[in-house]
Amino acid sequence: MDRLFNLFSQSIRAVTSFKMRTFFCLLSVALGVASITTIVAATEGAYKKALEIVERFGPDALLIIGGGEEQRAVGQRQKTITLSDVEAIKQTFDSAYLVVPMTSTGDITVSYKNKKYQTRIIGSTSDYSSVWTWPVIQGSDFTEEDVKGLHNVGLIGQHVVNELFADEDPVGKYILVNRIPVEIVGVLTERGTSPTGANLDDRIILPITTVMRKLQNETQYVSVLRVRFYDQKNLYYYVEELRSFLRNRHGIPPEDPDDFTIISPKEIIKFLVALTGSLVAFLGVTGVISLIVAGFVLANLFLLSVQERRQEIGIRRATGAKRKDILMQFLGESVIITTLGGIAGFLVAFAGKELLTLIAEFPIEFSWKAFAVGLFLSWVIGIGFGLQPAKRASDLNPIEAIRG
Amino acid sequence: MEDIRKTYRMGNQDVEVLKGINLNIEKGEFVSIMGTSGSGKTTLMNIIGCLDVPTSGRYVLADREVSHLTDDELSVIRNEHIGFVFQNFYLLPYATVLENVLLPTLYIEHYRDGSEKHARELLQLVGLEARAKFKPNQLSGGEQQRVAIARALINNPELVLADEPTGQLDSKTTEEIMNILTTMNKQGKTVILITHDAAVAGYATRITHIKDGIIFE
Repeated sequence: MDRLFNLFSQSIRAVTSFKMRTFFCLLSVALGVASITTIVAATEGAYKKALEIVERFGPDALLIIGGGEEQRAVGQRQKTITLSDVEAIKQTFDSAYLVVPMTSTGDITVSYKNKKYQTRIIGSTSDYSSVWTWPVIQGSDFTEEDVKGLHNVGLIGQHVVNELFADEDPVGKYILVNRIPVEIVGVLTERGTSPTGANLDDRIILPITTVMRKLQNETQYVSVLRVRFYDQKNLYYYVEELRSFLRNRHGIPPEDPDDFTIISPKEIIKFLVALTGSLVAFLGVTGVISLIVAGFVLANLFLLSVQERRQEIGIRRATGAKRKDILMQFLGESVIITTLGGIAGFLVAFAGKELLTLIAEFPIEFSWKAFAVGLFLSWVIGIGFGLQPAKRASDLNPIEAIRG
Repeated sequence: MEDIRKTYRMGNQDVEVLKGINLNIEKGEFVSIMGTSGSGKTTLMNIIGCLDVPTSGRYVLADREVSHLTDDELSVIRNEHIGFVFQNFYLLPYATVLENVLLPTLYIEHYRDGSEKHARELLQLVGLEARAKFKPNQLSGGEQQRVAIARALINNPELVLADEPTGQLDSKTTEEIMNILTTMNKQGKTVILITHDAAVAGYATRITHIKDGIIFE
């Protein structure tokens, strides 16, 4: 143990003495480890984000959107789901505890006093906030009577509150929505942005009947339908049930595609993986390449160093160092340097995190896991690429070495 | 040493550098081995210093047959029984004087206390106690060699092997170094001095010559 400690202190001595070698090895290892830890952190961040989104979306929830997948892909939103579909689903699926239709109209001008603002109007039922697990912080939801009676009442998103009501309490105030006076009965909590970057707080929720009749001139079609089930485990079974149920109702022949799209938590994860995948792949390739380059830089600088320090090796051997003492010393030097490089790389990655989140718009989550991976990789490089130079040092014949 | 032979292979030809060396050195002697380059003296020194093994023959050092030991065993012998003083000093440039003196203690088999105190005493003995924190490049050649002597003594070896210890030094420093070696011999160390310089060899109590791989008294 004392011997190991002695060797280790000799390694430290050499690391601090050969500053240029230390600096360049450290730098290259740091860059490699920085990109690798960033990947680990990004993957973790994306994963966490995905879980968060699924959690918010509702792991027990499905979203049914009008129009088949192909039509949606080219940007056509077709309304194919009717209020009677909604009623039928409610009647048929006992396993669902919430079935909430929604419709939406964009770019509607709303005003309060002399302030004007364009926002999205959502029509829904009194269950809107519970179906999205989106609590009302001031006031309350509108009621079933409001929906039946086409009342002009609404919930307001935080962003719209900020645009229209500076410091005023919006609850109980009337705003104009397309010149229709609407009483604000509740304020939704802040929700942030959707995975695609849309501001979710930029909206006003009115009874679906009010929106259809008074804004859309519509009697049957809704845009989307959200269904939540008691039994989360069988969600994917319900997806299939709902699909055949709706195909049947819409009279779609077996060879034709769906005229609606069912979005489940799985779809959301798929989407997110596609979004982050390219960045992770890019960083992964650069990270691995820079780590390998770092390894070769280290190996070469160490071979050079062994050559330069032949006399040192010779005198150490002459005064009693065994081969493995020399091996351990040089291996110690490379592991110390790469460990420092790994830590530096982690710090660089940590510092670069802000920049990356800005560009990539997804969270980079640093944890002990990213740190452990970084440290492990620096040891792999330290031992893997330091072994050959250390071996060469220890294999030097003391007589040859001491003659320089 | 009995009938020590060393053969090197050069190209496809065997060259016998040591042709049967018989040499008996008693504990406490001060022996010089003189020879010109090519006489085999360096090879002999390497074998005496356990840096190399003979091709054949017997070498007993401090009651132990060492001619067929492994590399690791030879390392231990060097560490415990032999102190080296070389022409080029071979101090570690990045370590202090004190650390250089302590170098052999890094490789001892069993840890012992008081090494640093011992190192300081040795530095005092060679007159460099004030330079303990200096780096070798801040010292003169004679001072560096004195550090090397302190290093050679730190593990209390029975044998001090000096290979042209004054080859890099002027005559005044040479005298200082030789006086230190003489003092050490008087304190009981066996000293073997390898040199081509007759004046330096004269400090020894016994002078031998090596020529073409054979020893002459």
